[in-house]
Amino acid sequence: MTHYDLVASNQHKSLFIVIAFIAFIVGVVYLMSLAFGFGPDFTVVAVVLSTVMAFGSYWWSDKIVLTISGARPVTRQEFFDFYTVTENLCIGQQMKTPKLYVIDDTAMNAFSTGRDPDHAAICATTGILAKLNRSELEGVIAHELSHVKNYDIRLMSIVSVLVGSVALLSDWMLRMTAWGGRRRSNNENSGQLGAILFIVGIVLALLSPIIAQLIQLAISRRREFLADASGVEMTRNPEGLINALTKITADTEPLEAANKATAHLYIANPLKNLSGGVGMFAKMFDTHPPVVDRITALKSI
Amino acid sequence: MIIIIALIILAVIAFYIIGIYNGLQTLKTQIKASVQEIGNQLKRQASLIPNLEAAVKGYMSHEKGIFQMLTAARTSAQTAVASGSSQDIDKAISNLQAVIPQIRIAVEDNPEIKADTTVTNFMQELSDTADKLMYARRSLIDLAQSYNQKLLTFPSNLIANAFGFKEEAGLATPMTGSHVEVSEAETQDVKVNLQ
Repeated sequence: MTHYDLVASNQHKSLFIVIAFIAFIVGVVYLMSLAFGFGPDFTVVAVVLSTVMAFGSYWWSDKIVLTISGARPVTRQEFFDFYTVTENLCIGQQMKTPKLYVIDDTAMNAFSTGRDPDHAAICATTGILAKLNRSELEGVIAHELSHVKNYDIRLMSIVSVLVGSVALLSDWMLRMTAWGGRRRSNNENSGQLGAILFIVGIVLALLSPIIAQLIQLAISRRREFLADASGVEMTRNPEGLINALTKITADTEPLEAANKATAHLYIANPLKNLSGGVGMFAKMFDTHPPVVDRITALKSI
Repeated sequence: MIIIIALIILAVIAFYIIGIYNGLQTLKTQIKASVQEIGNQLKRQASLIPNLEAAVKGYMSHEKGIFQMLTAARTSAQTAVASGSSQDIDKAISNLQAVIPQIRIAVEDNPEIKADTTVTNFMQELSDTADKLMYARRSLIDLAQSYNQKLLTFPSNLIANAFGFKEEAGLATPMTGSHVEVSEAETQDVKVNLQ
């Protein structure tokens, strides 16, 4: 597959996700208003809301993702290597330098987001910036820049905001019905609302594995191998990325700022070693190929 | 009917020719821009060196060799910016690459300079400039490669020849010489004796 095929495929998939999201929300609301005997107004509201959300996810997915990850913009003085390495790689690729952000967290990870190479952002944790040397950092940034260049960022960010929001909503609804359900049943007036929430929660919970499958289908794991390979093409130094990945795997700290919706954006799975329900789900949402396989692939270059 | 099909085929061919022509022109302007980027970085290098010299002067007045190398790096960068010829650019880059490790050794040996943030800042800036020069040259090499490939491969070569596109030199490097030969000594296994 050439670079242009990749770009086209990502653009088509992004459009598909947007349409599928609108169809899903409108469909669910329509079925519910049939079941509960509401008028057609609700469906109209759903059409408007989901369309607004879909367009919002296209235009502001980068800002949404950066905000929920708790990222802040960086200056050249504060993170000299991060800033200049990105600048240098962009000189080599004749592309616009993306905006740079950091997450104040000692876990080692990085991701990129945005809707196209002119509106892109790269975000790294302060942990990865402190623990990697310049050539390792170059490997990681080159990997992220190749996501930017072939429009992976558009697809991945839209998936984060739209599909991810459904996944998070189902988590939240389940928790609400599990913990708050009993207390609510004492209150007669909100009984109907409680029942509706419960049913929606159950439906979404049943859908959760399907949503997970959807994310995996859209974010095929091959994407990471491809980004590794084209990143090395930018730096001509596979060792940098190999050492960086080795260090990232050795680091066992999960990244608190990440969640199911954003996990697939990161260079390495940020939900590793998380205990409890989220950790269990993380395996199902595993969108990252094992790092060992990636290193083997890099060594064969 | 036949006329319509012929017209469609002609239109497709015309669009193809326009596409190739514009692609080649775009690459030419990009090659020009990447050469200018190299000049831009050389200029930055030339203006950074005096600052570094001033910052380290107090510490290594006895290290005459380093100052001579710094001066050589600065003047060669200035000549390269002025002339823009590829030999001058190569000379400026190799002068810079020669002086950076020397300063680094001097800095490592001297804890006093190592603690001086002005010096370490200038060192960072200078080695970053060397990186930027490397990437700017790579960009020039890559662009010239894809341009020249279009000039030589079928069918874009037909269009390129028809409009008289000339091959781009890219980064001027002699095609023969010691850098493309492997000497007898280089084929031997490397034995490192740390004693």
